[in-house]
Amino acid sequence: MKLTRRQTLASLGLAAGAGLLPRLALSQDAGAFRIGALNPVTGAGGPYGTGMQKMILAAAEAVNAAGGAGGRMLEIFAEDTQTQPQAAVLAAKKLIDVNKVQAILGTWSSGVSLAVIPLTNEAGIPLFHCSGAPALSVPPANEKKLGYRFQATNDRFGRAFAEIAKKEGFKRPATMAFNNASGIGNTEGFTRAWTAMGGEVVASVVYEPAQPSYRAELQKILDAKPDVIVTGSYLADTTIILREWYQTGEETKWIIPAWAANPELVKALGPAVVEGIISVDSISNEGSPAFAAYDAAYQKAIGKSGLGNVYAAMAWDMVTVLALAMEAAGPGADASAINAKMRDVANPDGTKVSSFAEGKAALKNGKINYEGASSILDFDEFGDVTPDFAASFIRNGEIKREYQVKL
Amino acid sequence: MDAYLIAIGTIAGIYLLLALGLNLQFGLTGLINFGHVGFFCVGAYTSAILSTKGVPIPLSLAAAAVLAMLAAWPLGIISIRLREDYFAIVTLGFSEVVRLIVTSEGWLTNGVQGIAGIPRIFRDGAGEAQAVLMLGLTLAFCFIAILAMMRIVRSPFGRMIEAIRDNEEAVRSLGKEPAGFKMQVLLLGSMLAGLSGALYAHYIGYISPDQFIPFVTFQVWMAIIMGGVGRISGTIAGVLILMFFLEGSRFLRDFAPFIPEVSMASIRLGVIGLALILFTIYRPQGLMGDFTKR
Repeated sequence: MKLTRRQTLASLGLAAGAGLLPRLALSQDAGAFRIGALNPVTGAGGPYGTGMQKMILAAAEAVNAAGGAGGRMLEIFAEDTQTQPQAAVLAAKKLIDVNKVQAILGTWSSGVSLAVIPLTNEAGIPLFHCSGAPALSVPPANEKKLGYRFQATNDRFGRAFAEIAKKEGFKRPATMAFNNASGIGNTEGFTRAWTAMGGEVVASVVYEPAQPSYRAELQKILDAKPDVIVTGSYLADTTIILREWYQTGEETKWIIPAWAANPELVKALGPAVVEGIISVDSISNEGSPAFAAYDAAYQKAIGKSGLGNVYAAMAWDMVTVLALAMEAAGPGADASAINAKMRDVANPDGTKVSSFAEGKAALKNGKINYEGASSILDFDEFGDVTPDFAASFIRNGEIKREYQVKL
Repeated sequence: MDAYLIAIGTIAGIYLLLALGLNLQFGLTGLINFGHVGFFCVGAYTSAILSTKGVPIPLSLAAAAVLAMLAAWPLGIISIRLREDYFAIVTLGFSEVVRLIVTSEGWLTNGVQGIAGIPRIFRDGAGEAQAVLMLGLTLAFCFIAILAMMRIVRSPFGRMIEAIRDNEEAVRSLGKEPAGFKMQVLLLGSMLAGLSGALYAHYIGYISPDQFIPFVTFQVWMAIIMGGVGRISGTIAGVLILMFFLEGSRFLRDFAPFIPEVSMASIRLGVIGLALILFTIYRPQGLMGDFTKR
């Protein structure tokens, strides 16, 4: 094969360009403990990712202000997952290989966490995430027990829905699920818990995202005459479904996850349509001193109440627990030694503490139990937590919390 | 740093295979294929399902390429005679159908939960050595594909498909039927996409239907448009530019520390968008574009 002059020049140019890449040297603090903040700043997780990243920075600042953990300061390297597995894998590779982080915090969607966890396992470092997929609890994803979930599993959400439906005295529930792992996880968890209580689900449908109308799916559900419809849905599709349901004039109640049944839904549809809808969310550990500290930091960074972003509270706890585990493991501990201390600093039997500074002092006198901003943060054998849930009702356009549900 | 560069290189290689297939279809033959990701998806799922069931990986890779090719065949039969813009719509529809089938047939594909724990191609030895081998394999496939493309361009077949691109009516008036050639090109391009999908599945280790959205197709389109349509060097350059923008912007912060972490993500997307617009204004032929034609 003969090269023309044009081709030769082109390949020379490319080679020169490629040669520049490795020169992108980085300055790094020696001796600091490096943490990767891998959050969904853009994409579907965008509404939460910014807050999460800022709270990881703020919590690290609080740890450093208290003199660091295990004799080391925390240094944060932030990256965006774009809420996409492939972008997240490259970002995680960069954090692990270039920035040499010793923990990755704050992946959000299940697809991203499932794609990143093989990399953190291979590097032998912990991954703290807020994803719902049950697969993240067990091998192969969590074979090294380095994955910790700060969010309720979809299954637990479903159980909370079932508790609320029972408490409200519903007899004939039906389910509608958005076709992804989280949507189906919610309604399947509900169906499992509901049938275990001896109930029966009269109809169920799984629908495709981004349709202009859901009338066919809705009609199938309404034909079964349910007294309540439980959804695993998002804001955009819920808006369309509720509008079409209101036009049919059928009487039925709704139980909807709070990431869909939120003030924006009320604004889009008007108070008449959404009257009486039950909105369910896992709730932060409100009223706890840890939550107050988080809320103050959130107000300062974002200028809004920390109540609006449960994932930011989880991100705050991620840094705090990690720092406490580092402190407990002592100076110079490696990732596996720190990992071994996670349950020692977060689970019961120990002095209850609500901040890093408090925990650092209490660790000198024995065991501690960090009660977090997002939940009381006790990890089970799979590294999962069980937060509390709340049922809120929409009345006259206002979303008011009425009671809490503990699983 | 090295391991990260190896990772970028591997992903770039996977994209290059995809882009070479599309360049053959669009750049050389003029087939506007907006459903390239569909074949990528077929390849990824084929190899993932087979290898998790214990089929040796060389076989599952081959099966992925063949099945992606077979998937293109019925599509070709019904749509290859359509005018180019209609063909674009049909292929876009095809890729969405593939995604919906993969989403719905949970017994086979584990539905929206996706397939986790897909075995790596190289499992022995240290992580670094595995990564280098994977990069080597990907680049070897790219190299073979590039050599094949060069042969095709110089062959009578290559002249025929370029003639189809430039003036289909003229080809017909010379007594040649374009449909058969277009079909062969569609099958070849899909085979490359299927192989690329299989490599992707084994490299990332986890696939789910939401990774195979039309956006992937358009990223590949972006690459070949920036690099220069119809040129093999342009395809390579385009993929490198795309990776440089997507990944290089991560390092922008090391030179501009005054930009807060959170703004960075948005700036990255802005920079890519700006680059695309500048390319279309000042270099519509792409970086390696052919200035002697068109």
